[in-house]
Amino acid sequence: MKKSKFTKGLLASCAVLASAESALSSDWGSFEGVTIEAKLIGGQQYEGLYGRIADWEAATGAKVEIISKKSHFEIDREIKSDMAAGTTDWCIGSNHSSFAPQYEGLYVDLNDYVDASVIEGFVPGTITASTVGGDLLMLPRAQFDVSVLYYLKSNYEDAQKAEAFEAQFGYPLAVPQTWEQVKDQAIFFADPPNFYGTQYAGKDEAIVGRFYEMVVAEGGNFLDEDNRPIFNSDAGQRALQWFVDLYEAKAVPAGTTSYVWDDLGQGFASGTVALNLDWPGWAGFFNNPDSSKAAGNVGVAVQPMGSVTRTGWSGHHGFSVTDDCANKEAAASLVAFLTSEESQLAESAGGSLPTRTAVWEANIAKARAGDDPFRTEALEAFAEGAKYAFAVPPIPEWGESTNLVFPELQAAIVGDKTVEEALDDAAEAVDELMRESGYY
Amino acid sequence: MRPKRLPEWFVLLLPAFIVMAAVVLIPLLFSLYSSFTPYKLTRPSTLWRWVGTYNYEKILSDWKFWSAFGRTVLFLTIVLNLELLLGLGIALMMNKVTWGQRTLRTVLMFPMMFSPILVGFQFKFIFNDNIGLVNNALQSLGISDAALPWLVDGKLAMFSIIFAEIWMSTSVFAILILAGLFAMPRDPLEAAKVDGCTAWQTFRHITLPFLMPFIYIAMTIRSLDVARAYDIVQIMTGGGPARRTELLWTLMSRTGYVDARMGLANAMGYVSILLSIVFTIYFFRKLSAARAELGMAG
Repeated sequence: MKKSKFTKGLLASCAVLASAESALSSDWGSFEGVTIEAKLIGGQQYEGLYGRIADWEAATGAKVEIISKKSHFEIDREIKSDMAAGTTDWCIGSNHSSFAPQYEGLYVDLNDYVDASVIEGFVPGTITASTVGGDLLMLPRAQFDVSVLYYLKSNYEDAQKAEAFEAQFGYPLAVPQTWEQVKDQAIFFADPPNFYGTQYAGKDEAIVGRFYEMVVAEGGNFLDEDNRPIFNSDAGQRALQWFVDLYEAKAVPAGTTSYVWDDLGQGFASGTVALNLDWPGWAGFFNNPDSSKAAGNVGVAVQPMGSVTRTGWSGHHGFSVTDDCANKEAAASLVAFLTSEESQLAESAGGSLPTRTAVWEANIAKARAGDDPFRTEALEAFAEGAKYAFAVPPIPEWGESTNLVFPELQAAIVGDKTVEEALDDAAEAVDELMRESGYY
Repeated sequence: MRPKRLPEWFVLLLPAFIVMAAVVLIPLLFSLYSSFTPYKLTRPSTLWRWVGTYNYEKILSDWKFWSAFGRTVLFLTIVLNLELLLGLGIALMMNKVTWGQRTLRTVLMFPMMFSPILVGFQFKFIFNDNIGLVNNALQSLGISDAALPWLVDGKLAMFSIIFAEIWMSTSVFAILILAGLFAMPRDPLEAAKVDGCTAWQTFRHITLPFLMPFIYIAMTIRSLDVARAYDIVQIMTGGGPARRTELLWTLMSRTGYVDARMGLANAMGYVSILLSIVFTIYFFRKLSAARAELGMAG
């Protein structure tokens, strides 16, 4: 039976206190004497969830031994080394939708170990992105990532600015709805080296992901159905030109090509950037006076659209069970527990976005009922933004292809190559990779 | 008839042979073998597929690899020479200090005590275009009104990395050269003084030839270190933007550990090891010549 929104809201507010009792009352199975070894992503923001593992241990009689706790990139390298050495008999690994496709044969299909009714509770898009070749490789935790637009509100409350902008660009100054408007406004607001219109991650998978979502927003795609690169299309050129134009106009910091997420977050928090497309984890940080000069002046809006559609390159964290695990049922029980409604309510209370439909609704209801309009604004923007979310291609070569593409995108941005040359060179390199990998 | 016994020297050295084989020889042979396979860390079965010289052919025709190779040679040359000049200068000045020299020597070694990763983060912050110390200082002093892209511009980015590397390791040269100065006999210097040589003549014809063996030892050690430069470059620029600061080790580590193409990365390693061998042979020959000139055993 479907629960009412009221009940879910009530559940959300009581979740943290009730979580221990819920863990004990739910049927997580009995695994007396079993020890589950886990490799988990580390970081202060994740500790709250790991604190709940004791409840699962109490409910099942099993023990959990965390044998590794590192960043996802370090965990990724460690897992690859384990695969090479054949030491994959630990049971649970932290996973990410971008990384999952490359671990061929490492993780089990969770459809065989988790009830279908449990899987139905997740946002369908996250289950699709966690499924590779028909196998559900992980259950998503409350770490759903899609970007929306953070902006400094003061820029839209200045009558003189509004007048000057309209005189220059011919339309009223308002929070941008399209990427073209973002470009116009970023150039208009920029006053380097003191203030910048916007910024973007300029290296590694970060810039390729941004480029990818812009290509889709322009009506193109990264790969075709046979995994041939098609991003060097007109849509791809328009997308890359956007990055180039902003760089040439000095509307972004000169060092943006060396920035990734921390640099961008710190940049917007310094109050020197007008518009910033960024992840949900930053919302609280940006509006906290202890960490951000922009606090109290931050607006959150759905991501702008390209000439065709709105899009959001997205990803999420999850937990997987290895095929070499001695007790896969116990491991699957722990994964289901860590991604359960109770766990997601507790974890998303810290600001991260859930991957369960019921928890989304509960969080928004709770925010509306509370006295934090910023949290409500942010959650509503992310809920809307999530509708346009899509995951990276579920192929093992995704990460490698980004390493071939990002230096070429940079080459166009810093003026070493034209947009067309850079995209053709990148497409040629990805084409060679796909051929070597046997796709065609 | 008594059974044949192994020679004593062999038995005594056997544990060392076994350890050397386990930690050096076997990994070397394994990596050499894997460079002839399409070995991917995530697909262990690829280790048993022999592709002959495919990886080497791919590298030899890859301009990205050769650009990184050339850039590494350039980086090595500039860093080694500047470190030598600065290290020599510091050592000569320190040799003149008569009070507090021990403390100064300890202070001199501070940069070497930092992890290269920390040095990388330190200089990444210092050279940040927006919130970095250098740009803020230049703007505050009115020297520049622009945000100089220290880690982006091709020349400035290489300069920034070279600066960080030199800051961390110049003291290796300084300490070794200082050791040479301490070991130097006083008689030739006093004889030169009596003969009326200028300070420059004394340095050029007596001090420098005596220091050359120490300089070449430092050169050999540092050339191996610099050829493996990775941490600082990876943290400061990641080899970018647009491969402007890509060195052999940033390329190899991305290929091997991020892309998981260990077979290809190992092949790159074996091609690039030529660089270290060439530099090592060159400096050892120079070392032998310098020792011969001083009348020491070749």
